[in-house]
Amino acid sequence: MDLLEQFSNIKFYLLGSYPQGEIGGLLLNIILAVLTICLSFWFGVLLGYSRLSCRLYIKLPCMAYIETVRATPLIMIIFWIYFFLPYIAGTNITVFWSAVASLCIYAAAYQAEIVRAGIIAVPKGQLEAALSTGMSRYRAMRHVILPQAFRIMVPSFLSFFVSLFKDTSTVFIIGVIELTQAGIIISQREPNKMYAAYVCMGLGFWIVSFSISQLARRLEKRIGIFDLESYRPDACRDEFMLLPKKKVTGEETGPDMSCRSADSR
Amino acid sequence: MMITGVKVTLILLAATTVTSLTLGTVIAIMRISRIKILRVLGTLYVEIFRNIPGLFWILFFYFVFPDILPWGLGAKLNAYLHYPIVAGILGLTVDNASYVSDILRSGRLAIPHGQREAAISTGLSRVQQYLHVLLPQMFRVTLPPLGTRMVHNFKNTSLCMAIAAPELTWATQNIESLTFRGIEATTIATLFYIFLAGIMVSMIILLEKWWKIDVSSMSQSKA
Repeated sequence: MDLLEQFSNIKFYLLGSYPQGEIGGLLLNIILAVLTICLSFWFGVLLGYSRLSCRLYIKLPCMAYIETVRATPLIMIIFWIYFFLPYIAGTNITVFWSAVASLCIYAAAYQAEIVRAGIIAVPKGQLEAALSTGMSRYRAMRHVILPQAFRIMVPSFLSFFVSLFKDTSTVFIIGVIELTQAGIIISQREPNKMYAAYVCMGLGFWIVSFSISQLARRLEKRIGIFDLESYRPDACRDEFMLLPKKKVTGEETGPDMSCRSADSR
Repeated sequence: MMITGVKVTLILLAATTVTSLTLGTVIAIMRISRIKILRVLGTLYVEIFRNIPGLFWILFFYFVFPDILPWGLGAKLNAYLHYPIVAGILGLTVDNASYVSDILRSGRLAIPHGQREAAISTGLSRVQQYLHVLLPQMFRVTLPPLGTRMVHNFKNTSLCMAIAAPELTWATQNIESLTFRGIEATTIATLFYIFLAGIMVSMIILLEKWWKIDVSSMSQSKA
């Protein structure tokens, strides 16, 4: 009974004061992490690809951005966004969105590095082959290189997601009531429940990130990304990769022809 | 205030680098040992500490740890003026050590089997094998990821502001609240972080060159 009393705030840890007030607790951590990863993914792809560009005026700013952000602690980025963006831009944004913005800035740089590593890891012959079939650079990237690169990226992507999820605990510093902040609030308000608060905090983070990393491990095994030697293009679902196969089976109607006829219409 | 902050950050950095490397090495050796209990304990440590944020551990060592300690040690710790720094060092160490041990373990797997056999055949004891043959190679192979981890650890020292350890980030916040000159202070602090991270990275690159790491030849000899 005493133990149950200790954990009576469990709803506050999981959901915050949700039905009455704002969403908080562990759910907010998950929302922040998912939102950030969805938003920053596109910036990451853009930055990572631009960093590989041979044009200096594209490459250098991207490099500068990535290296600067990667060398700055997340707390510093959060402070910049939360305290000084209102000074500079003259607008006020809510705590939640400034947390999302700073996490996005932080995550984009790391994702850019993951994307860059993934693109580099695709064998060089792939790009050469794609270019020699007459594809434009953009189409070669879009249909040949990036699908393969994304497969290579999956493990590092997931492990970054775990670390991002843990990093969402940092935003408690600006008063977002996520799990860490909830635990601190409870342990200060009711000091006799301090142990329970820390157990809840630890368990909450542990369960979520452990299950994601376990999922990642299983996914890694299933995709078998690391053996590029045995990489079979026909296993890839992208239709463009199926092209040579179709040409062998159906001789008169290759997808290339249909493309052209669609154009003339 | 700023200078004290820089000093404390440097102290945190130096202390956690040394302690987490030591603890990480011990746990890595535990995880690759033949004794099952040690292996299980090591794996348990890594799984627990890797999946909970470092911030939690810092808070834990500051608020909860003195409470658990027996014989009134906790009260003494709480009375100790610099306890936030100590708690920060402890929290960062246990967090970082789990990563270090994971990196080192993968380094052990990258060392060709013949090295161990050669060490046994020259009559080295197990301790000597580790000290003279395996550990130096483990560090050499894993230097790049280890370096990245150390830079990460350096950035994580800023989390210690949560427990009011007077390090650089805390100092900037303090300056902001005392003098409202937050932008200047934060700019200087950010520049300092970038500068020091740059120094760390270039040191690691120099070390790599100095040790002449050639990972490709390593994997070839393994095959």
